[in-house]
Amino acid sequence: MADEHSTSVRRALSLANAGMGVAGSYLGYALQRAFLGEADRDRKLKATHTRAARRMANEMKTLRGAAMKFGQTLSLQTGTFPDEMLAELASLQMSAPPMHATLVRAQFKQSLGAQPEEIFRQFADEPFAAASLGQVHHAVTNAGKQVAVKIQYPGIRQSLANDFSMFRTLTKAAQASGHIPRTAIDEVEQQILAETDYRKEADNIDFFQQQLAPLSFVAVPRVVREYSSDKVLTMSLMKGQHLDDFLARRPSQKLRNELGERLFELFYFQLLKVEALHADPHWGNYLFTNDAGISLVDFGCAKYMSQATVSYLRSGFLYPGSTRSPEFRRLLEKYYEDEGRELPPATRKALIRFAENFYRKVYPPNADPQAAFDFGDPQFLKDFLTASKELFRTKGVLSELIFMARAEMGMYQTLHRLKARVRTSELVRKYL
Amino acid sequence: MKAALALFQTRGFDATTTKAIARKAGIAEGTVFNYFKSKDDIALHFFEQEVDQAMAAVRDNPRLRKAPLEEKLFALVHAQLEYLAPYERFIGAAMIHALRPSSPLGPFSHRAMELRHRYLRFVEELIAESLPEKDNVFGFLAPEVFWIYYMGALLYWLYDSSPGKQHTLAFLDRSLSLGAAMLRQGKQYGR
Repeated sequence: MADEHSTSVRRALSLANAGMGVAGSYLGYALQRAFLGEADRDRKLKATHTRAARRMANEMKTLRGAAMKFGQTLSLQTGTFPDEMLAELASLQMSAPPMHATLVRAQFKQSLGAQPEEIFRQFADEPFAAASLGQVHHAVTNAGKQVAVKIQYPGIRQSLANDFSMFRTLTKAAQASGHIPRTAIDEVEQQILAETDYRKEADNIDFFQQQLAPLSFVAVPRVVREYSSDKVLTMSLMKGQHLDDFLARRPSQKLRNELGERLFELFYFQLLKVEALHADPHWGNYLFTNDAGISLVDFGCAKYMSQATVSYLRSGFLYPGSTRSPEFRRLLEKYYEDEGRELPPATRKALIRFAENFYRKVYPPNADPQAAFDFGDPQFLKDFLTASKELFRTKGVLSELIFMARAEMGMYQTLHRLKARVRTSELVRKYL
Repeated sequence: MKAALALFQTRGFDATTTKAIARKAGIAEGTVFNYFKSKDDIALHFFEQEVDQAMAAVRDNPRLRKAPLEEKLFALVHAQLEYLAPYERFIGAAMIHALRPSSPLGPFSHRAMELRHRYLRFVEELIAESLPEKDNVFGFLAPEVFWIYYMGALLYWLYDSSPGKQHTLAFLDRSLSLGAAMLRQGKQYGR
């Protein structure tokens, strides 16, 4: 069974790779990011020669994108991916290459109608950060304000549209058999294409600016709309360091705890109050300041949760009764009903086991309010991974649940690296 | 100039007369001859402008002095295309055809050859600046190849219907990066 279909998908991927756009295959890179482990990606990146590529390589490690969602939806529906497919994905080309100053200027002029010097008092020729579809430059406005200017590599949206139609054609067989669901491709195309329009990201930034105002320790950029377009995004420069640099300064346990609790609080505030996440809570999307402040960056893949999901989370978090009770079962069934789906028994059982083997331990419902969970102990990560694997092996896990699992994973990894001790139940209860 | 280019496009270069150009531009035929010797002169003048201003843009730009080869070449070709942009509607494949290396001899093609040599010498200088070692295996080929590359890029640009010619920008960047990488490789084999 697996052989025939995995062959057709494998063939589709290699043919697709051969024919995909001049700018390289972003789809390929997106898939690559979704499925390759850290080790493979590192190995592939070390093989590149140019200085610019090497500089970008470090940034690439922290990037996430709509690709994660593609990976989530695919792996959910089709079970585990065959090794040959992973190998095929590993050979696909990276896209969104670095841009030299002349290309940046040409792209800027084409999009905003003027050279950077005509618009800004100062504009750095070399980028200071990579972005999934382009790169980010420092600039100073005529009013003296420090800004970050994100510029997209040319032709990506057009290439993507072509890549997706080719991908659809080449994977017809796999679609027919259900190995690659048609809806998953549509969903992902929407998400990735949305990422190519920086105006959507600007809208996301404005939204989170407003919504996260109650959290004093969170800083969100301000968009400068008059110098922004679908391919150029100008926003205030955020202060802080990435996690690696922050940890290198050997912060105290007190600072780590404070930061950990704030990250944790930010996550649940977003889920339960804002009902949206600014990004995959991977450490690449945050900057940390010395006073435990958190700056948010990269709003390209903001996720807006469904009402059904939020209700489910509100009723499920810190569930006081037994997870084996008919009431808890009803809770799960209702969620699926609200999403118009049926809850398969295997999935239901896996969800219950997840609650028992992981959530009960990390978020004990009847804990002492001052009890802190130590995220430095690696056991919890292992429990999480085991429970998730078991869950994803069943068919019929809602894509929102997969997304939630990935999002939590990102946060748990960050908390683990911080070795933070967090009053988990207390903080969740605050926003229930 | 625009009138001439419009007629070259619709009627073809050969069928266009200076009389027709004058009529379309709304001036006396004699006035045309005050500025240009013939229609060949007009077409060639147009291309000379394009090439000369692009070379000046690259040569006179202090920022490009330390830039890698692919960036200098990108700046050159991009400057050429920016010059041509307002006349895009009027430039036809036929005109570009007139600039091909194997044009028959005649005053027009002679000057065209001179223009081509001037341009390729400039490209050769740029390559030599960036890859100064003497034994460059592909070095002697590169300028000639570059002329054909330029014509290909021009055609690509003409037929590029993507918004803001995004595809052309990406095409130029990717192909020049590849080309420069090949030249660097070639250097090693030369030794």
